[in-house]
This record gives sequence, structure tokens and C-alpha cells, in this order.
Amino acid sequence: MSEFARDGEAYSLSLSIDEAHVLINLVEQLLELLGEGDFAHHYDNNDPFAQLMAMQQEIAQPEDPVLKRLLPNAYADPEAADDFRRYTEPALRLNKQQGLRTVREALTILVDNESAGVIEELDAQLWLKAINDLRLALSVRLDIDGESFEKFENMPDEDPQKGIYAVYFWLGWLQESLLELLTQ
Amino acid sequence: MGDTLTDSEISIEQLLDRPWVCIVWDDPVNLMSYVTFVLIKIFGFSKEKAHDKMMQVHIEGRSVVATGSREEMEHYVQALHEHGLWATLQRDDKI
Repeated sequence: MSEFARDGEAYSLSLSIDEAHVLINLVEQLLELLGEGDFAHHYDNNDPFAQLMAMQQEIAQPEDPVLKRLLPNAYADPEAADDFRRYTEPALRLNKQQGLRTVREALTILVDNESAGVIEELDAQLWLKAINDLRLALSVRLDIDGESFEKFENMPDEDPQKGIYAVYFWLGWLQESLLELLTQ
Repeated sequence: MGDTLTDSEISIEQLLDRPWVCIVWDDPVNLMSYVTFVLIKIFGFSKEKAHDKMMQVHIEGRSVVATGSREEMEHYVQALHEHGLWATLQRDDKI
């Protein structure tokens, strides 16, 4: 059974191998959706000209509903929203990718060892945000609303979506447990 | 004529001074405890204030969490988006 633990300022997470596999799959799918690497070059390069050129690109609001939720408009006015997005979206994508990559790295080590294990010395704030991004992504695909938990509980076991709902609520529980440790 | 000019000068000045607001919107996914945690982290609110703002978001659907210059509000909206909260900025519409 997965569980976060805290010892002073050191946070850890114990996970079964199955749980690690579920998480790593989710993380990789979200990284793919976020276009891993697509925007990184804007910031890998300190050359002012490259940065200037990167700013000139038109970046439209994404069409995928998950990306719309993770990279939302900052203004109700579409023109102002697009303008803001042009300057800020690469950094926002990068921020989310970096968090997910760190989580993937830690999970990969567990999965490669092919046994249940503990992730030691994890960055609790980073994991908190990454788990939240995974929940947001799943919630869009599952069309989560206020009645979703009841819907899940009444869902027959053979419903193919039941497992995905279970992962969504498991992540909520995991996030809540980390929050409790962080605010102790 | 003079009066009209003075009036319009004042209104332009008021327009320029009108502050911007940063708004957090309700969504069915972010945990209440998480929203409270993020508001404390980003705005340095007390636990009580963060909790009140979170409840306002939850019950009324939105809450103004900061007021100030456009640049400041853009900075906050970006930080809130990094944390997965649904936030926007706009001119304060109270005037």
C-alpha cells in the first residue's frame, strides 16, 4: 500500500511495483501530451536573439481539453489571453514537464529494480504539484464533477472505466496524505 | 467646456489608476486542502485567510485573491497556473 512518510524535513514515498507502473504510465502519457521537449530549446539557450525569436511565435490556446485545463487562458479577452500565452506558455509547460520528469526518474528506478520500494528524499512540493497535474488530466478525461465519487461507487466492476476512476481517487487520497504531512 | 475637459482628465486618470485583480475560480478537482495550501504558499496568507478565500471560491465560484498592478497580477496568475489552480486577471470592475 502506497504511503508518504515524513522524518523531519525528509519526505519519502513507499509504493508497490504495480502502483509504480500505474503512475509511470500516467506520467509518460501526460509528458507526451505536454509535448515533451518541444519548448525546452527556448530556455536551454541564453542567446538573446534565440529568445527574441521564440517570443515571436504564435502560440494558440491548445485544442486538447486536458491541455486547456493545465495551460488555461489568463484573460477572459481572447486577444489578451493569446498575448499572455505567447510570453508565458513555454515556461509553464516547462515547469510542468520538469516536475513530471523528476517524478518519472524516481519511479523508473523503482520499476527497474522490479520490486516494491521506497523513494527517499523526494521534493514534496514538486510531487504535490505533479500529482495534482495528473489528477487534473484524469479529471478532464473522466469528466469529473461533484457526483463522480457516487458514480464510481455504483459502477459495476466490469465497467472498463472503473479502474481509471479508482486511480483518480487513489491519487486524491495520496495527495491529501502528503498535504497532511506538509502542514503538520 | 473647461469643466468637460477637467472631467475627462479625471476619468482618464481614474482609468489608469484602476487596479487589476487576480481571481481564483472554482473547479471540482482541486482538493480544498490543496487550494488553501497553495494560497498560503503564493500569497503568504494566514491559515484563516487562506481558508476563507478557499471557501469563497468553493461556495461563490470565485474569489479575488490579490489586487495591484497588471504585472503583479500576471505574475500571480502564472504561479497559480503552475500549481494547477484555475486563475485569471482583469481590471477591477468595482469602479
